[in-house]
Amino acid sequence: MTRKASPTIALFPEASFGAALNCVGIAQALRARGARPVFICHAGFSGVFADYGFQEYQLPTDDPLSDSERQSYWQAFVRRHLPHFRLSPIDQLETYVAPTWQAIVDTAVNAEAPLRQLLARLKPDAVVLDNVIMFPALAGTACPWVRVVSCAETELPDAEVPPYLSGLAADDPSRPTFESRYLAAVAPAHERFNRLRADAGLAPLPKGLFLEASPDLNLLLTPTIVRRERAEPLDSSRFIYLEGCVRSEGPFEVPVFPRNGGPLVYVSFGSLGAMDVGLIQRMLAVFDRLPARFIVNVGGLRDAYRAVPDNVYLDAWFPQPSVVAKSDLFIHHGGNNSFCEALRFGVPSLIMPYCWDGHDNAQRAGETGVGDHIGRDGWTEGVLERAILGLLADDAMRARLKDNAAQMALKPGTDVAAEAILSLVRT
Amino acid sequence: MESGRLRPRSANHGDPFTRLVMQAAAKRPRTNHLDLAQRILDVARQRGFAPGAHLPEQQIASLCNVSRTPVRAALRLLTEQGVVQWEAATGYRLVADLTAQAAVAAELPVTAEDELAEAILRDRSARRLDQTVTVVGLMRRYDAERKTVLKALQRLTEENLVGRAPGQSWLFRRAPDDPEAQGESYEFRLLLEPAAILTPGFRLDGTRAAMLRQGMETLTALPDAAFDTREFQRLDIEFHDMIADGSANRFVADALSDHLRLRRLPGTYAGVNVFRLKQSLREHLTILDHLESRQYEVAADLLRVHLRLSRSQRPQAASRGAPALFGMISRPD
Repeated sequence: MTRKASPTIALFPEASFGAALNCVGIAQALRARGARPVFICHAGFSGVFADYGFQEYQLPTDDPLSDSERQSYWQAFVRRHLPHFRLSPIDQLETYVAPTWQAIVDTAVNAEAPLRQLLARLKPDAVVLDNVIMFPALAGTACPWVRVVSCAETELPDAEVPPYLSGLAADDPSRPTFESRYLAAVAPAHERFNRLRADAGLAPLPKGLFLEASPDLNLLLTPTIVRRERAEPLDSSRFIYLEGCVRSEGPFEVPVFPRNGGPLVYVSFGSLGAMDVGLIQRMLAVFDRLPARFIVNVGGLRDAYRAVPDNVYLDAWFPQPSVVAKSDLFIHHGGNNSFCEALRFGVPSLIMPYCWDGHDNAQRAGETGVGDHIGRDGWTEGVLERAILGLLADDAMRARLKDNAAQMALKPGTDVAAEAILSLVRT
Repeated sequence: MESGRLRPRSANHGDPFTRLVMQAAAKRPRTNHLDLAQRILDVARQRGFAPGAHLPEQQIASLCNVSRTPVRAALRLLTEQGVVQWEAATGYRLVADLTAQAAVAAELPVTAEDELAEAILRDRSARRLDQTVTVVGLMRRYDAERKTVLKALQRLTEENLVGRAPGQSWLFRRAPDDPEAQGESYEFRLLLEPAAILTPGFRLDGTRAAMLRQGMETLTALPDAAFDTREFQRLDIEFHDMIADGSANRFVADALSDHLRLRRLPGTYAGVNVFRLKQSLREHLTILDHLESRQYEVAADLLRVHLRLSRSQRPQAASRGAPALFGMISRPD
C-alpha cells in the first residue's frame, strides 16, 4: 500500500471526554476507509483510545503530576468551582472562564516543544485538531491541519450569532455588556497566548480569539436543526457542517429496575458534572416520585449515594450513544457531544448547564424546540418535575425529532468528516 | 412490574402479583435438592459420563456422600429438566451431553431464596441498599418471610459475599465495582493468577478448556452490534476460574476462587467497550493455546499482560485545561 492509499491521520483532541470521543467516531470512520488514524494525547488520556483499538502517542510533560498531586488539584478545583457553576454565564467570566483560559494557555505552552518533536517524527498526512486553542506547532507542519469545532456553533463568532459562552439569544440587548466583560476577563490569558504565537512566528489573533480557522478544512458539529443564520455565511469550500459526530459503541442492555416500567430517562452531566453530588441527590428525590426509569451517570462517586430509589440505576460509565438510543429523554449539561447524540437519536434534551458552551446549547435547545432547559441553581422540585413530564408528554416534539434523526442517520457526521479529511490528503 | 421479579417494599400480599409469586415459590424445589442436582452433574462431568450412562442411586449417593433419599429427589428434578431419564427397567440414565453444555445449572429452576439473594446483590450494586443491612430491613423491603431472608443471607455468606456484623446486622463485602477497588483487584490478580499457573503441578481441565474455546470463538465472531456482554462476563469468569482451579496450591486456588466470585456481582463489568472485550477474548484464546501445549511460563507471562491491559485506563474526571484525574476523588464538600 502506498502512503496515500493508507494515510496517517493524527487526531489531537483536547483532554476532555467530549472531544476525545468525537475524535474516536471520526477515527472509526477513517479506519473503515483504510486510513491509519492515530491519536496524539495529553497525559492522562493514554489508554482511552487504545481501548478502541487506536495507536496512541502521549505528549510528554517535563514535570508530570503525581497521583496525589492530581488528587489535590481536583479537590481544590471542585471546591473552588462548584459554587461558580451555579452562577449566571456573565458572572462566571471572572470566576471560571478566565482561569480556565489561563489553564488552557498553559496547556498550549507546555505542549509546544514535545508536539513539534512528535509531529516531526510521526510525519502524518494530516492533523485533526479538536480543541479550543491553537497549537503553533501545527502551523509548522508540512501537512494540512483540520479544525474540529466541537463546541456549540457560537465558537465561530458572527454578528447574528450570540457571543460564545454567553447563553444569550442572538438579539439579546445585553450582548455588548457580555462581550466587553468577556474581553476584559480573558485579556491576560489572551496576551500570554499571543506572545506564544509571536515566539513561534505566528501572527497575533484578535482579542478574545484563541484559535483561527484552518486554511484547509473546518468541521462544525452543528446539526441542521439547530444551525444558525449567519450575517457572513461560512465559506462552504473550507467549512463543512456535520450532522453530529457519534461514535460506534457496543449494545446496551437496559438494567432491571425493582420498580420497572415507564419511559426511560438518561442523566449525565459529564465527568465534571458528576462531582456535583448534592445536585444529583436532590434530583434523585424528584425521580423517586415520577412514573419513569432513570439511568444516572455518577462517575466514580457511586458510594456517595444511599437509599437510591427503585426506579433509578447509577453507574460510573455508560456507552452513551447506545443508552441515548434507547432513551425517551436525555438530561445533560449541554456539552455539544451529548446534545448532538440526543439529536442523532431523536431524543429531547433537558439541559441543565453549568459552564462553557453548555449555556449556549441550553438556550438553543429552547429556541429550536428540540428540548428545554432549566438553571442549575434555584430550581424547585416542582420545576424539575414539570420539565421532565412536559418533555416526556410532548408527542409533537418527539415526532419532529424522530423525523430529524432519520435525516441525520442518512448522513452520519463521522462519515462526512472522514471523507472530507481523506479528500484533503488525496488532493 | 415484571413477573418473576421480587417486588420491594410496597408489595401487598393481597394483590394478584404477590399471590402469583407466592404460588410459584410454593412449587419451587428445595435448595438442597437443587444443590445436589448440580453436584450430581459435576460428578458426572468430571468422570466423563456420556449420554446414556447409568446413574445408579447408590453409586451417586456414595459419590456425593449423601443418602439415597435426597439423591432420588435430585434425580427427579433433573428428570423434569430433561437432563436425566427414568425407565422402570433400568432406572436413571443420563440424557444430556454434559461436555456440550456449559452450564446445565442455569437451566435449573431458581429457589425463592436464590431469587431474593440476586435481588439483594442487584440492589446493593445500585446503592439501593447500604453496606450494612438487617434481616428485619430486608423482610420489610422485599415483603419476604424471615426464613427466606435468612436462607438468602446464608447463601450469600457461603459465597463469602456478605458476613455477620455486630448486632443483628450483615455486612456486604467490598465489590470491585468502583475504580479504586477495581485497581486493587487487578493488583491482587496480577500477584496470584500467574502464580497459579507457575506452581508445579498445574492441571488444565481439558473438557472445560474445550468448551471455553468454543464459546469464546463464537462470541468473538459476532458483529459488534450483536455482542453479548453478559456472555462475555460468563466466559471471562469461567476462564479465570479454570486457571484458579487448575493450581496445585490449594491456598492459591482458594484465594483466587474467593476473589473471582466477587466479579460475578452486578456492576463489575460496566463501561468496557466491545473492541476491548473482543481483544480480551483473543488474549484468552492465546493463553489457552499455551496452556494446552504446556508452555506454562509463556502462558503466565501472557496472562500478566492480559491483566495489565484489562485494567481500565479511563480517567475519572477531565475538564478543559485540567490534568485528567485517575483513581477516586472523595465526595466534594
